[in-house]
Amino acid sequence: MSLDRSIAVGQQIPSAWSRSRVGAFLSQPVSWVFIVVGAIIAFLSLYPTLFLFYGSLTDAPLGVPGHFTLQNYVRAYSDPEAYPLLLNSFIFGIGSAGLSVVFALTLAWITIRTNAPLRRLFELTAIIPNILPPILVSISWVMLLNPSNGLINGLFVQFFGMERGPFNIYSLAGLVFVEGLILTPLAFLIIAAALKSMDPSLEESAKTLGSGEFGIMSRITFPLIRPAILAAGTLNFVRAVESFDTPAIIALPARIEVFTTKIWREALGSFPTNHNLAATYGVGILVIALTFVYLYRRFTSQVESFSTVTGKGFRPHQIDLGKYRYLATAVAFLLLILLVVLPILVLLLVAILPYYHVPTWQTWQNLTFDHFRYIWATPRVHRAFLNSLFLALVGATICMLLASLASYISVRTKIAGRGLLEGLVFIPWAFPGTAMALGLLWAYVDFPIPVYGTIWIILIAYVTRFLPYGLRAVSSTIIQVHKELEEASVVCGAGFLATFRRVLIPMMRPGVMAGWIILVTIFLREFSATLFLYSPGAEPLGPLLYFLYLDGMRGRVAAIGLVISVISVILIAIAQRYSRWETN
Amino acid sequence: MLRKIMLARVLIASFLFVPSSVLGQNAKLIEAAKKEGKAIAYGSLESDTMEAIVNAFKKKTGLEVEYWRASATKVMDRALSEARAGRPTADLIITNDNPLRLMQKENLFQKYESPAAKDFPKDAVDPVLGPRYRNVIIGVVFNKSGIKAEDAPKSLEDLVNPKYKGKLVMPDPTQHTTTTQWVASLHKLMGKEKADKFIRDLGAMKPILVESLLPSAERVMTGETPLSITYVKYAYVFGKRGAPLDYVRLPKMMGDGHYIALAAKAPHPSTGRAFIDYFLDNDSMNTMAKLGEFVNRKGVLPPLPDADKIGFVEMEDLSEKEFAEKKKEYQQIFLR
Repeated sequence: MSLDRSIAVGQQIPSAWSRSRVGAFLSQPVSWVFIVVGAIIAFLSLYPTLFLFYGSLTDAPLGVPGHFTLQNYVRAYSDPEAYPLLLNSFIFGIGSAGLSVVFALTLAWITIRTNAPLRRLFELTAIIPNILPPILVSISWVMLLNPSNGLINGLFVQFFGMERGPFNIYSLAGLVFVEGLILTPLAFLIIAAALKSMDPSLEESAKTLGSGEFGIMSRITFPLIRPAILAAGTLNFVRAVESFDTPAIIALPARIEVFTTKIWREALGSFPTNHNLAATYGVGILVIALTFVYLYRRFTSQVESFSTVTGKGFRPHQIDLGKYRYLATAVAFLLLILLVVLPILVLLLVAILPYYHVPTWQTWQNLTFDHFRYIWATPRVHRAFLNSLFLALVGATICMLLASLASYISVRTKIAGRGLLEGLVFIPWAFPGTAMALGLLWAYVDFPIPVYGTIWIILIAYVTRFLPYGLRAVSSTIIQVHKELEEASVVCGAGFLATFRRVLIPMMRPGVMAGWIILVTIFLREFSATLFLYSPGAEPLGPLLYFLYLDGMRGRVAAIGLVISVISVILIAIAQRYSRWETN
Repeated sequence: MLRKIMLARVLIASFLFVPSSVLGQNAKLIEAAKKEGKAIAYGSLESDTMEAIVNAFKKKTGLEVEYWRASATKVMDRALSEARAGRPTADLIITNDNPLRLMQKENLFQKYESPAAKDFPKDAVDPVLGPRYRNVIIGVVFNKSGIKAEDAPKSLEDLVNPKYKGKLVMPDPTQHTTTTQWVASLHKLMGKEKADKFIRDLGAMKPILVESLLPSAERVMTGETPLSITYVKYAYVFGKRGAPLDYVRLPKMMGDGHYIALAAKAPHPSTGRAFIDYFLDNDSMNTMAKLGEFVNRKGVLPPLPDADKIGFVEMEDLSEKEFAEKKKEYQQIFLR
């Protein structure tokens, strides 16, 4: 199959969705799916965010009658100081998203497409940093690379007789490096899913025609997974631009100001909190996010260009690296040291020390398992684990079901308004976490179905806020699935739902499972959307970690973080078993 | 007859010395509370401290209190939002002065005169919020491995000595509300002229700025920075875990007062009142002091060396406008 031919076929297929008659539209099962999925997504997305949009246009806090005003927009965007900060944020966002994509692409290519030894182990562990709260990863890196007593700098001083260590985490480079590492697992999952879904026939044809492995990689493989690379880059860019944790830990001492530090100072950290202004800033981030969604859709508009998953059975082409396979393992191992080993070692150290300090010989006499004992002996922690496991497993499953249907409609149909679905999904994601949590509180505190203060509202909040992750993961895979399989299914008499369940879901499985893993690992530790919504005494792990952190209980936070990591690795191992094509 | 008089004396004496929680009035309160079920408290008091008090309260009365712990700002955000939406959930709010005053303006609280209030100094009892049960004091904490006690600063003014340049960490006063308030209240310790100069000199020192008072203390604990402006209690709290911390014995130190307030529309008012009585009573205050808190109940002190010599000065309350102005002013001083 050639690329040209597939585009041509795509253009010849008459579009059922372009018919104007309502009756014809409603006679298609997929139209009903569009209506139902669209209604659910529109409700989840617009209902809480309308409160925030309203807040951005009024001069009183939510719930208090106010007057219409544009003053929040004037205040947020007329300040000339805001624009250099936006530029800083842009550099920070591009730098960290770019670094994460480079790291993820390298790691994904080595683990999925080569015969490098230990690749399965790398694949299993690369997602671990996504499990840890970003603030813990930032703190770990400060402990490793701070210029005064960072552990790695200390090693350089001790072994190379240097006066000062060579690294300074408190710099723009340090900021980009740490955020890049935090964002890598998300990019890895999306890119790895696309690489798993690729039919190797094009690569094999190129090889037959005399292309070398590098030529195949640069001219066939990477162009084909461009949607996944763009999806990962888009998500990570917006995530970096709106992140506050890493800038708070690294940029503040370095005196580097980014846009989120301004939002914090003027809106979220002000007294009292100015959620109207925070929502107004959120509208700005929303514009950036929607611009990237638009660009993504433009870059991937020729859907058929990326279709490589066809009806023919295949196994992903594995490149024999020969003697270089050990070099590939070394590169992957180096990345894994940065992504997983070093932060986890620091967390382990924090978890077994009575208080964190640079280890000395005396340290080994003071080791304690008290923090792990706390987990074992505290029923509240056990309840939090159970609550979070329920939320993670059920929430991620609901999210992926919705994301798969939305993604199918958005990518594969010609229904008018399908592009809106993606825009809607991204709306709640663009607002700062705390502002969004308030929007959710407002939306559901007096909802006719009494969900406020129950576990169900947390599920609603998770699906609302994190659907873009699921959508991005699955749509970059669905783009790769060729239409001929669906057409064959329809010709054989299967309806839409049967085709979706029996043909599309199995073909999109790597993307669905990647999204599911991303969401499970996020839901296990999420706190900003949860904090205002859970019922006191029945908290999930995220709020528990939050207040332990607030109380200066780093040891307990690290110990719980490590236990969550172990649970997540088990879940990921199970999920990855089901995401492999080989198991078909 | 003599026996009767003796018996009457014993009864009167036991009545006088019996804890207030078992007095007739409180017995009725506890009976009423038992019909309500558990109370809900929102607060910024540390979870371990609250857990110890809640467990002891349950043991004594059989009543339960569920606790939602967050930062003071988030406590205010949730309580205000629920009240404005007509769905008040919390019976009790336990946090610091400034957010409580803001909530008070929106009539979130009802007055409750706990019998335990009489054991607090009169100037520490607010007409609506009741006794200021603890003072959270900000001072200068140092790491003894990084700075010897004799080389440590002796006064706040010493902090701007060039020898401490690059060695001081503090929360960013343009970001962290309590620190904005602390810097803006320094005139209460040293007079306006001296305070203005000190603030300018402090900014010129280019201290290492962090997000809040806890990371400021943690950097000293880890030894990354030897000197910190933070809560004095951390010298005890982290010192107990083995960190080599001490604090500068300043003659006067500023801080924030904390209160426990009963919600105006508390869904479980009797349980709320019963808990306030216990919370302000001797047992709870002693528990809190043992965990390093400066409680206001007469004669109860934390096990921090020289705690009795600390002169407490309450920080000034700032309005929303004053906060915004001060943050802007400090941007010019601390971020240039």
